[in-house]
Amino acid sequence: MTIVHHPSEETLVTFVAGSLCEGNSLVVATHLAHCNECRSAIRDMTELAGGILEQGDVTEITEATRNAALDKLDDTPIEARPDPIAMAPADRPLAPLSIYEGGKWQWVGPGVYRQFIDVPNDTGTRVFMLKAAPGTRLPDHRHVGTEWTCILKGAFRHDHGRFGAGDFDEADGRHDHNPFVEEGEACICLVALNGHVEMTGWLGRLIQPFVRL
Amino acid sequence: MDQSSGNALTDPSPEQLIDLIARSQDKTAFTILFDAYAPRVKYFLIRNGASSASADELAQEALLTVWRKAHYFSADRGTASSWIFTIARNLRIDETRRDKRAQLYAMVGEFDDIDPDRPDELVSATEHAKRVRSAMTQLPDDQLEVVKWSFVEGAAHSEIAERLGLPLGTVKSRLRLAMRRMRKSLEDLA
Ligand SMILES: [Zn+2]
Repeated sequence: MTIVHHPSEETLVTFVAGSLCEGNSLVVATHLAHCNECRSAIRDMTELAGGILEQGDVTEITEATRNAALDKLDDTPIEARPDPIAMAPADRPLAPLSIYEGGKWQWVGPGVYRQFIDVPNDTGTRVFMLKAAPGTRLPDHRHVGTEWTCILKGAFRHDHGRFGAGDFDEADGRHDHNPFVEEGEACICLVALNGHVEMTGWLGRLIQPFVRL
Repeated sequence: MDQSSGNALTDPSPEQLIDLIARSQDKTAFTILFDAYAPRVKYFLIRNGASSASADELAQEALLTVWRKAHYFSADRGTASSWIFTIARNLRIDETRRDKRAQLYAMVGEFDDIDPDRPDELVSATEHAKRVRSAMTQLPDDQLEVVKWSFVEGAAHSEIAERLGLPLGTVKSRLRLAMRRMRKSLEDLA
């Protein structure tokens, strides 16, 4: 599969630093499950972080803590490393998602279904899968807040490009015009939404009461 | 060993020390690693928002994790420093939120294990790490500053912007430029 749209560098740095919330981390990890290129970037960034740690300042450890650590060694067995779990390449894209429970598919609008993923949303980020029938046209809409999407299956297009399996769409505070799902197969994507989506245009205002995202 | 000067371990290397722990539960190797890394991890955790007492505790826990998981380290995936960074990061996440992010990170790491055809394996991990370090020293100060803030403080970009008195867009673009420059110089070397 050819991936065209990747997370921004800032997003990858924030992922490596551990400062993305869990919902956003899940969508980024799902892209990483698809994308060698970004995994290579992640390795470089982790190496950079290691370099910063290694060359950074120090804060002295108390003598008591040091002694306690050395005392604990006898009671701390060294673990054997289990063999890596054999995973077929085809199962990989859904592997990060498989850590979480999903709810039931719910109807949200004509041809569109949603399934919430059980990620704690105390940071205000809601995570869900969205499934839209082939050929579905969505009204123009505006993203208020951040909305990150990783496409799992099928493809959609809007005026910012075509998004197929593995692609990552970072739609922060952006206006999307003329979005539609390609013909052929249903489009399924994983979305982390912090804020909400506002439908615009006459069609959007008409269906906004039904399509609540 | 002078820790305050910021010298890294060279002989034996931290990677060799971890190997000694894995092979023969070598306590001397652990002690050397502890003295070299625990104070750095503690500094990192304090900058990351941990209290001094909890940073002391977590730094100890991080090094004990190095002991326990010594077999999990593989030098062909990165340096000891980058591995210890991820251990400290995950402990900090666990302390503050206890969520499943450590599992996500571990899973992404596993994809590398089962994906041997990565292009940057043409050079050894140590060689690669050296190149990352040298690319780092060539970053302009204003970019390096933002990079350090991101990794060490784990600060949100908006927070970095506020604390450095910069517009948010500037923080993001400096970060982006720094990463592109680093990746570019790695490509040039490959
Ligand atoms: Zn990518």
